[in-house]
Amino acid sequence: MTEKRLGDLLQAAVELELSTIPPYLCALYSLRPESNGTARLIIRSVVVEEMLHMVLAANVLNAIGGEPRVTGTEHVPRYPHELPDGVVLDLLPFCPEAVEAFLKVENPQHSHRAPGHDHPLLAGRRPDVQRARATTLAQGPTTIGAFYAEIIEGLEKAAAMLGEQALFCGDPARQITRDYYYAGGGTPVPVTDLASARAALTEIADQGEGDQASMYDKDGDLGHYFRFEQLKYGRSYLPSDDAGTPSGPEIDVEWAAVYPMIANPRGDDYADPELRAASDAANRTWSGLLRQLEAAFNGFPEALLAAVPAMFSLRDRAAVLLANPLPCGGGRHAGPTFEWARESS
Amino acid sequence: MLFPQGAAARTDPQTVSGTIYDAVIVGGGIAGAIVANQLSRAGQRVLLLEAGLGEDLTLEGYEDYLTRFYSAVSKDNQSPYPPNANAPMPRPSQVRKITPGRPDSSGYLVQNGPYATDSTYTRVLGGTTMHWEAKVMRMLPEDFEMASRHGQGLDWPIGYGDIEPYYQAAEREIGVSADVADQAYLGVTYPPGYVFPMRGLPLSYLDKMVAAGVDGTEVEAGGERVALKVRPFPQGRNGIPNPDYDGGRGYIPVGAVSTHQVEEGGRCQGNNNCVPLCPVQAKYHAGKTLAKALGNGVELLAQAVAYRVHTDPVNGRVTHIEFRSYRDPSSPEYVTGTARGRIFVLGASAIENARLMLASGLKSSSGLMGRNLMDHAYLLNWALLPDIAGTGRGTNSTGGIVDLRGGSFRGRHAGFGIDIHNDGWGWATGSPFSDLLHIVDAQHKFGPELRRALVDQVSRQLLLAFMIEVPPSQSNRVTVDPVHRDQLGNMRPVISYSVPDYTMRGAAYGRRLAQRIFERLGAEDYTAYDPADPGYVTYEGQGYAIRGGNHLGGTHIMGTSPANSVVDTALRAWDHQNLYLVGGGAMPTIGTANVTLTIAALCFKSAEHMIEQLRAERAPVALSGSTSGSAQ
Repeated sequence: MTEKRLGDLLQAAVELELSTIPPYLCALYSLRPESNGTARLIIRSVVVEEMLHMVLAANVLNAIGGEPRVTGTEHVPRYPHELPDGVVLDLLPFCPEAVEAFLKVENPQHSHRAPGHDHPLLAGRRPDVQRARATTLAQGPTTIGAFYAEIIEGLEKAAAMLGEQALFCGDPARQITRDYYYAGGGTPVPVTDLASARAALTEIADQGEGDQASMYDKDGDLGHYFRFEQLKYGRSYLPSDDAGTPSGPEIDVEWAAVYPMIANPRGDDYADPELRAASDAANRTWSGLLRQLEAAFNGFPEALLAAVPAMFSLRDRAAVLLANPLPCGGGRHAGPTFEWARESS
Repeated sequence: MLFPQGAAARTDPQTVSGTIYDAVIVGGGIAGAIVANQLSRAGQRVLLLEAGLGEDLTLEGYEDYLTRFYSAVSKDNQSPYPPNANAPMPRPSQVRKITPGRPDSSGYLVQNGPYATDSTYTRVLGGTTMHWEAKVMRMLPEDFEMASRHGQGLDWPIGYGDIEPYYQAAEREIGVSADVADQAYLGVTYPPGYVFPMRGLPLSYLDKMVAAGVDGTEVEAGGERVALKVRPFPQGRNGIPNPDYDGGRGYIPVGAVSTHQVEEGGRCQGNNNCVPLCPVQAKYHAGKTLAKALGNGVELLAQAVAYRVHTDPVNGRVTHIEFRSYRDPSSPEYVTGTARGRIFVLGASAIENARLMLASGLKSSSGLMGRNLMDHAYLLNWALLPDIAGTGRGTNSTGGIVDLRGGSFRGRHAGFGIDIHNDGWGWATGSPFSDLLHIVDAQHKFGPELRRALVDQVSRQLLLAFMIEVPPSQSNRVTVDPVHRDQLGNMRPVISYSVPDYTMRGAAYGRRLAQRIFERLGAEDYTAYDPADPGYVTYEGQGYAIRGGNHLGGTHIMGTSPANSVVDTALRAWDHQNLYLVGGGAMPTIGTANVTLTIAALCFKSAEHMIEQLRAERAPVALSGSTSGSAQ
């Protein structure tokens, strides 16, 4: 594998991890205040770790001298968004279909019947599907697991061919360390060699599906897949439980206590000028946040600290949209569109 | 931090009454939690009695507090915590101006006055650390030697050097964010190479605006020139872990407590309502320590209010604690239970410890039980800055001026620290709600104009809170009176308190200093003290509104002999060789540091002695109160 392809695959990995964030945020922000407390925490915990995954992928790319990109129409995901293995990510409010899609994303082995285009939620709301770079780069059908396996194998071969030092030539100062990123479940691994690259990429896979042999990752955190299963079953997992049979306290899931956002909203859906302005403002905040992330991945890790208030601001702007029923929308509400805005705020 | 599922219901009053524990602890706040954790780690069987409701600490339960706070009209420091007539707590809203000779018994605290305190403590699992601000300064070396150095108050029987290692233990337990370079002043020293668990939290923009005008300003105090400087405070909230901590092993911040895994509280987000409740549990609360203790097998019996400490009349040892166990906070029904152990630990707060002892007829042979009640006296000063200063951003208080915490002037007047309040005038005026009402009702603004006016008003607010030391005074005290009881029949604390002149001289100095600082900043002083304020104190013809600090101490002070104190340096009661009184009550002076860090440090020290005593006394204690136990 050429270094060029390795770089392309890692850039695709950064984008893949980024693309999972808006669907989770839509589900999270669509929860009405003072309801679905546990669901909110579960989704939030996963989305925080997806951010970690993006950081880890960027660290590996930086380690081999790459420049992770997350801004511009070329790199910012659009929805519906197709991942490897035919998983289509839609922007949906919190609903059983969204949880099914999350389960599929977190475990490609999950048998999943994606709601068809004619599903009431999606009817007329799934126009052109954008295919993820991870999909277009693949030489034949692939899965997320196979995609990461290919990267690890590529790194191993390149290290054998070029020598580990020559491959991992990136400036260590560009690595995101725990100084700038912290989440209860998992910490960023600074990547400087093959072992740390492997550790970083394995962490991404483990947090999704748990350790290969267990439902928990090496830190003892329940895998994302199983966290979402708790919402599906309305019951939490105890450490002694087997997969599929959680026996902990009941989780009260109120599917109705949700702002019924339209699926895959676009700025162009908002004819009302005030709504359009609110949507543009949210997109400027989203784009500003992505600029901060890109700066953080390109030599200014401290930009992550300033990204925290930007995330609060994004949440607040999304809430304005979600609380608004669409004129002539049949009871459906507006929602954040996560579109790239050239001007950011 | 995982709270063991079902731990809150591990035992019941009947089981407890039939068991002899190694240690019985009263109170599930930071003191009780640390002692419980230390003793259980050493293999001791521990019972923790908690007066408040005790359910498993779940994130949902915590968020119920949060919802309560969000929806409360008055956002005071007890607003998240529901009323419980069987374990009532003082609330700021209960404070009334006292007419001389007419004690006010309308609130939980019966106040004799002349000063009416609005100080509070929180009777829920986790105690007052649920609502605390989490500012965790160490006491100054001179704070331990006030009598010999300044001729004021009392000397401690231990010095800074004795407590220093325990400060380190407390800083680990709480998870302190600070940089040694900022915190080494006025003689406070650290061992070479010491770093705090997490790096210091940055100064807010408002702090920096104040610093720009204040840093380097020289003031005269006690005949000496002192240069002022805005410094960051050490904080008990999660920041960036310091990789050099613990000899390079680093520190892993402790996040939210719940029975299931949650990803919250890893880092402070600057929500600015640390008091009365951190919305994400990035701020330390004793639930984090309790979860560990319960993980070690500590038995928790909640809704069990200690009613009486029973002692052996021959040797003074505590035989058992009689408690009243209730099911329903609104119903006066209870069953009586008995908690027996080899040692007993009261960690129910300075006021409740003294209240329980006095209600049990245990006044201490020194007669000092309940006396020397102390609390920091807060003097608020508020002004409007000329420019927008970002008020409202950051945690409640990130920085302040601490240069006058110590110095030779303390022979004459009290020392103080100055907090810069990132939450604006809230404490003084009820801002921003009061501002909103004013702009709507008096200025008739609405829509975008209202929003602009509110931002312009609030984001220029500067509140300087002077936290002034209060020396021990035997007439400031907690007593009990059988006439005043709560729903469960427990005698309520009766408080007699006046603010000492020494403190008021410090307040007068502080008021002049605040005026000078405002002048330097070009800020317009809006400070006004209302004679109708329950905390209004007149001193040398000037009136000041003094607020309570919730930093209660001194009701069972530590000393060198049974004649001059209630407890020894191990916090063991001189009169009762198997009873430890922990918490702020053991502090002979409170200096100018918020008390919790020192309380925690003393608990680590005391727990060592408890373990030693338990190991030394192998023989079981006598079960009956009427026969004598083993002599010491």
